[in-house]
Formats: sequence, structure tokens, C-alpha cells
Amino acid sequence: MTLDFSVLHTALPRMIEAAGTTILISVLAMVIGIAGGLVIMLLRIAPNRVVSLAALSYVEAIRNVPLILLVYWGYYVLPILLDLRLSAFACGLIALSLVVSAYTAEIFRAGVRSIRPRQYDAALALGMSKAQMYRRVIIPQAASRVLPILASVWVSLFKDTSLVSVIGVHELAYVSLEIRSSTFRVLEILSTMALIYWCIGYPQAKLVDRLHRKYGAKE
Amino acid sequence: MVDFMTDLSVVYDNWRYLGGGLLVTVCLWVSAVVLVTISGILLAVARTYGPPWLVRIVAFYVDTMRSTPLLVIMVLAYFALPLAVGVTIPAFPAALLALTLEASAYACEIARAGISSIRAGQMSAGLALGMSKAQIIRKVILPQALIRVLPPYGTLVAGIGKNTAVASVIAVPDFLQQSTVLSSQTFQPTEIFTSALVIYFILIFPVTRMIDLLYRKVERLGRS
Repeated sequence: MTLDFSVLHTALPRMIEAAGTTILISVLAMVIGIAGGLVIMLLRIAPNRVVSLAALSYVEAIRNVPLILLVYWGYYVLPILLDLRLSAFACGLIALSLVVSAYTAEIFRAGVRSIRPRQYDAALALGMSKAQMYRRVIIPQAASRVLPILASVWVSLFKDTSLVSVIGVHELAYVSLEIRSSTFRVLEILSTMALIYWCIGYPQAKLVDRLHRKYGAKE
Repeated sequence: MVDFMTDLSVVYDNWRYLGGGLLVTVCLWVSAVVLVTISGILLAVARTYGPPWLVRIVAFYVDTMRSTPLLVIMVLAYFALPLAVGVTIPAFPAALLALTLEASAYACEIARAGISSIRAGQMSAGLALGMSKAQIIRKVILPQALIRVLPPYGTLVAGIGKNTAVASVIAVPDFLQQSTVLSSQTFQPTEIFTSALVIYFILIFPVTRMIDLLYRKVERLGRS
């Protein structure tokens, strides 16, 4: 067996472009997911039992099924359910956003709950309004506790975007596997794909560790 | 929308086919959990007590696995590894290898967190009692450390269960693969994928809960 990396002359630009799509999906899913996560967190801590139970069921349902199945479900079932025509990109993005929202909802809830109740009392006793209390006391502290965990979610999300390749979204994994089957340079293309993922992912994993050391909850 | 989920007979009629897939999923899950647990503990011990060069290798391994998608590891194990070593590897072992390689990194970090939560004084106390370092790790430190990290371990076990579905990418005949095949043959993706969601949930959800319950029972044993 001989390695022939000349295939990369034409393949590499396409793969790097696809890596751009991977990053684009990650960013969009993270933004949508965080917004959704905030909404679900608010529903989850709502005083109405039915509402909070519904939010809890949503979170547990999403967290206990394989993401790749959600991707298939988003692609084949969701458009029928909503009676809409959706592109593969949109379906993949929806599936990823659902997962991110379920995870971040729990993270935000834990962040807000990690602030001791006395701090709420103290803020109110100082004459702050409820909005001021949240803006100046609760959220800044909760945010720094939540940040490292959000960073971990981001890294898993970045990796999970590879799963939307199964419905034909033209991101890095899909494009690489396609070039592999058209050129038969299996080893060269697959190792390059892994290397691109690694080059983007490794520094992020290191950054997450640093954030954990800097902001992580200490006992 | 009108016909949504009205006809589940496609699932009943093919229960043997789908059940076979479910069995493959469970086999893959159980064997991966066993391998991951063993290798995770070994890696954690190596990373905590090993010589500096070994610590560096394990750290690099862990960070690499944390930054590479499982799908990529799986595809490499199935398509690239056989070419590199010149041996054909069937899909199931390739998937098991990929799942184990990936999850071991997380298991290592979980076990390591447990080990570093045990006070250093316990090691000194063990040495003072004339125990060897290996004995102390095995008999004193690990039993407490592993109990303390049961909750994140439960999350990891559930995660491995979810990740087994990625094996369908390399055509392991697992539950997801059988569902996709059935869906493309019968053109009833709605019924099949929605039931698959429910079945995966029924499979995975109780496991996390059971590990949490177990933790509540044995939690006090991890205190020191």
C-alpha cells in the first residue's frame, strides 16, 4: 500500500470549505440552543406545575435519546409533522439546537440555583428592585459558574455536527467521505479529515480546561 | 399531519428484525461499558501516579479523543485502520473499538477526579502502615474514589448507550441501522423513527436512574 497525498491538491480546498460549514452550523446551533435553553429554563422554574413538568419532560426526552436518531427524525418526520419543506441543513440545525437547548436549560438552572438564597434576601434588603437584583447580583455570579460548562457543551456540539452528515449536509465529515468514495484514497482523505477536526477541536478542549480552572465551581 | 402515527403495524410486523437490531445495540453497549470502565480506571491511575512521560502521553490521548468526533474515530477504525495494518476488521469490533477509545478518555477524567478528591494523607497513612503504593491505590484509594464519581459515571454510561447509534454509520446492524433500512423499504419513517425514539428512551433513561439510586445507597462508603 502506498500513500499518495497528491489527491489533496483538489480535495483540501473543498474540505476546508466544508470545515467552514461545520463551524457555521456549530455557531448557529449554539446561539439558537442558548436562546432556547433560557426559555426552557424559565419554564422549568415556573411556579405552574404543568408548565415545569412539560419543560422537564422535554429536557429528559432529548437527553436520553441518541442525537443521530434525532437528526434522522428531524429530517424525515419533522417536516411531515410541521407540514413544511425543510432543507437538510435546516433539519440538522434544528436537531442540534434541540439538544443544545436541553443541555443548556439544565446548566442555566444549576447556575441560578447555585447562588445561595441569602443573596436574594440581601439584595432586596439593600433596596434593589428584582430586576436590579438579577442584573447586578445573581446573573454575574451565575454566568461565571456557567461559562466553563457552556464551553464544554460547545466542544461537544462542534464534534456532534459531524452527525448531520448522515442526512447529507455538506459539512466536513460528509464532504470528506464523499471525496473518499470518489477517489478511493481512503487513508489520505480520512486522516486529513481527522487532522482538520483535531486542529480545530484540540485548542478548544485546552481552552475549556483553562476556563474550568479559572471559573470552575470550587468547594 | 392527519395520518401522523396512525399505523404502527409496520413496527409490530417487523419486531423480529428490529429486535435483532436492539440486541446488537445492547451487546455493543454492554461490552463497550465493560471495556471503558477497565481502561478508564487504568488510564486514570497511569495519569495520576505514572512517570511524567506516561502522564504526558495519557493527557495527549485524552485531549485528542475529547477533540475528535466519534463518527470520525469510527470511520477511521472501520475504513482506515484495516488499510494501515493490513487486516480486515468487521464492523462490530471496529465500532466497539471506536466507542471504547472515545469513552475511555472521558472515563479516565472521571476516575481521575475521584482519585484527586481523596486526601493525600491517606497515601501517607497507608505507607506508614507498610503497604505498597500499588496496594494503597487498589485497596484504599480506588474503592472510595470510584464510589464518589458514580453520578458522572452514570452519565457516561448513558452517553455510551446513545453513542452506540453512531455505529449505524459503518453499517453495524444495530437498532438505528435496522430502523433506517426498514424506513427506506416501507416509506414509513414517521412511525419507525418516532417508535425508535421511544424505545431508545426506554432503554437509556432507567440506566441513568439506576446508577443514581445505587449512588444514594453507597454514597456514605465514599466518605472519608
